[in-house]
Amino acid sequence: MIAFVRRNQVLLSSFLSVLVSLYILASAARGRLRTDPIGPLLLAVMRPLQIGAQTTVVRLRELPARVGAFRSLVAENEGLRKRVTELEAERNRLLEAEATTRRLQELLQFRSDLPSGSITASVIGSSASTWFHSLLLDKGSRDGIRKGMAVVSPLGVVGQVVAATSRSSKVLLLTDPNSGVDALVQGSRARGIVSGSLDNGPLMKYVKRSEEVKEGDRLVTSGLDGLYPKGLLIGTVTKVNKKSFGLFQYVKVALAVDPSEIEEVLVVPGEKVD
Amino acid sequence: MKLSLLFLLFGFLLVLLQTTFLHLFPLDPVVPDLILVLCVYWGLNHPTVGAVLGSFILGYSVDVFSSPVLGLNAFAMSLVFLAVYLSSRCIWIHNSLLSAGVVFFASWIKGVALIIAWNLFLTGDGPWMGFLKYVFLEALIAAILAPALFSLLRRGQNYLETARMPV
Repeated sequence: MIAFVRRNQVLLSSFLSVLVSLYILASAARGRLRTDPIGPLLLAVMRPLQIGAQTTVVRLRELPARVGAFRSLVAENEGLRKRVTELEAERNRLLEAEATTRRLQELLQFRSDLPSGSITASVIGSSASTWFHSLLLDKGSRDGIRKGMAVVSPLGVVGQVVAATSRSSKVLLLTDPNSGVDALVQGSRARGIVSGSLDNGPLMKYVKRSEEVKEGDRLVTSGLDGLYPKGLLIGTVTKVNKKSFGLFQYVKVALAVDPSEIEEVLVVPGEKVD
Repeated sequence: MKLSLLFLLFGFLLVLLQTTFLHLFPLDPVVPDLILVLCVYWGLNHPTVGAVLGSFILGYSVDVFSSPVLGLNAFAMSLVFLAVYLSSRCIWIHNSLLSAGVVFFASWIKGVALIIAWNLFLTGDGPWMGFLKYVFLEALIAAILAPALFSLLRRGQNYLETARMPV
């Protein structure tokens, strides 16, 4: 028996690994997995690395623009080029500072319109998988962030917190197929659920065929899901598909917030927070 | 064991890359799955209990960073390792093009495992055609990256094994 186990230890441990992961998956999907000892530890260890890497990524994104600016200056004489480079660097720094100030002022203004207890957080990582659209924030339960809190920006709804460790938290974006927000068409007050999808982009589902929805209509949160405050902008209608059969019409949506461009967000407590 | 630990640390580096630097490439929303390539390498060239644990832990890490539910990627990566390990008993990979082929098929196994788990445990109305497109793209990118990563891993493994051998 021992010889058999030794001879097939990789095979047996592989089967065991598949079974354990299935057990974890089933427990987590049914909400029975209360404690996760590895996740918070892993996030805590990776947090400083992610902050460093994300800073480098942001700088690398800016690199093409900087290289382009540098090339245009090569044609000028050496002294002028040096001067221009200095001024350009100073200008970029000031523009960046001004943009940051403006962004933070908007965030502060927006925050005063939201329920009290809203928390400002910065994005430190994006999704590691094609299948799920998520963000990592630099604040966690130590700062008051709890699972189920809504995440918004001055431009509109971003998503909701699905996990929070002491110093970071994971946000499921509205573009993820597993997310959803109770929405209203601002003009006609037609109701539906805005949710992400992998192949068609965000959709507004379960809108009754009798309701009037047209391209360009703005969608706002209804507040009925207990997560998002009422009246926040979600996006605009880009296409309405009303088939000749069925109870509902399907509405394609362009979200107000582009997740790839978010740097700071506000985490807002809802009524249904754990 | 030491080798498996070093591989696992390298795996965490790949997780870090997947959450940050790989988003620089204009492939959005597809993220090159280097962790899958590492699991396939383990299944073919380093099939140990440490590698089984490594595949599980790296899949779990992806869940911690990205998935709404824990266990999805841990299940998929464990399944990929098992499938590659079983097939490695029948096939012998001796060039990089073949390794790309194995990674391509392993990526499909992962994709199908995710689709099934998704439909069983998450939303029941998964958009299959959209999924297949992303499975194909992800598999293609992983297969393109596989030869380079395999070569890097093989060199690292050879170096460490040579350094460990007594004179």
